[in-house]
Amino acid sequence: MANLFDVKLVFSEIPSLLRYLPTTLWLTLVALLIGLALGLLIALIRIKKIPVLTQLSIAFVSLIRGTPIIVQLYISYFGIPIALKYINYYNGTDYDVNAIPGIVFAMAALGLNQAAFDSETIRSAIQSVEPGQIDAARSMGMTGFQVLRRVIIPQAGSVALLPLGNSVISLIKGTSLAFTCSVVEITAAGKILAGRNYRYFEVYCSLAIIYWVITFLLERLIKWLETLVTVPENAPELDSQGNLHIRRGKREKVIPASTLGLEAYLPADRPGNGGAV
Amino acid sequence: MSYIEIRGLSKRFGNNVVLDQVDLDIEKGDVIALIGPSGTGKSTLLRCLNLLERPESGTVRIDGKTYDLTTHSSKEINELRRHTEMVFQQFNLFKQKNALQNVMEGLTVVKRLDEKTAKEIALRHLIKVGMADRLFHYPRHLSGGQQQRVAIARALAMDPLLLLMDEPTSALDPELVGEVLQTVRSAAQDGNTILLVTHEMPFVRSVAKRILFLENGKIVADGSAAEIFENPSNERLRRFLDNINMLDM
Repeated sequence: MANLFDVKLVFSEIPSLLRYLPTTLWLTLVALLIGLALGLLIALIRIKKIPVLTQLSIAFVSLIRGTPIIVQLYISYFGIPIALKYINYYNGTDYDVNAIPGIVFAMAALGLNQAAFDSETIRSAIQSVEPGQIDAARSMGMTGFQVLRRVIIPQAGSVALLPLGNSVISLIKGTSLAFTCSVVEITAAGKILAGRNYRYFEVYCSLAIIYWVITFLLERLIKWLETLVTVPENAPELDSQGNLHIRRGKREKVIPASTLGLEAYLPADRPGNGGAV
Repeated sequence: MSYIEIRGLSKRFGNNVVLDQVDLDIEKGDVIALIGPSGTGKSTLLRCLNLLERPESGTVRIDGKTYDLTTHSSKEINELRRHTEMVFQQFNLFKQKNALQNVMEGLTVVKRLDEKTAKEIALRHLIKVGMADRLFHYPRHLSGGQQQRVAIARALAMDPLLLLMDEPTSALDPELVGEVLQTVRSAAQDGNTILLVTHEMPFVRSVAKRILFLENGKIVADGSAAEIFENPSNERLRRFLDNINMLDM
């Protein structure tokens, strides 16, 4: 019975699986960026109610949310080559399907999947920004793009951060299905490895550990981003030397007086100087 | 030729005519109060002037240039908006930015001033409205009155030709109204040209050089405080002042 579960193997296989981690991370990163960019675009289309594009967006989001990721990966893997062949046939071009690595199909499918889910998160976050602040920005003479970049995205971003974090975490795990597009990332590598010695259980334990560690690190990253974008609970305070103390939870950030560069402008006897404000 | 000339401004919401061919000349340094019953288009008049509402017709001549208020050219829209600044009833400060950043925002983003110059201008205006000790406070750390003073500093820092104030004290607790009115008074004394919608009649009486009474989308009375409050010639104006107990003051 001693050999049914080989604990040592769980850990000794991790290094060979980690050689494929860059593929997993690269796939995640590209799909994430496609998801955010296209998701923002779809959200803006739906908020601005642009005719035709709105209907297309609604249909797209519904289609993607209504089908399993694995089906979408297969459709991308088989569909894009067929589309290319049609393009070649009608335009007389000569694009080579085999020149496209499998990971591109997986990036496309996972990216579109992310876009559909992220678009709804982003849309609700944008709609949570007070219209009055947008009025204020517009009445200053900001262009539409400046309003988006300076007012809407910082605020909507802090609202959307946690749900988008959720979606990245599920994306990382979704990359484990990329084998359908003949991509060898860590899960596929694990299957291949286990195929040699039939130690499937041990390999899946190793994979579980790797995914868990990655998502744990990601959770810390999101937590850190959250402290960056959240307005501190208490008002920042100037000390007697003119350094600014910003407290967020247990963290304290000190901005030295020299960086603030206020002394040249403020009279020395201004209210609040020489003590806590 | 007047400093600012508004001609033929009309705005309707559905079948409801809110502004009906309004003409108005404003001189430099004028402090003009818009009064009138609610729903007569006072706020809409202000919002049409910097195109937060799009009127059906109207032109504004400002800084030697005539702007068609129905224009779709975003260049013209933003140019006109840079000549006017708005102070809102609900303050509308940017929540993610502190007081200093709120005032610097327009200076760096719209006027494209460098950080140092923008900071200098912003500080000057924040000190003027008495907020020097709360530069790094975010809107959530400020009272309504303090937020509105920052908002006034934000508007004045842009050095507008015309300052539009839309009921700046209506959302405030009574004990905070005074500090904001004091700030408005000082902005008026500094020679700013101000168009102000308010219900603070005693304040209007003491600060406004000119008062417009708006009803059913038209300016039905136009005169100094003495002409409006002491000797209201217009029957509807008389009834309005009577309703708000201003006749016997």
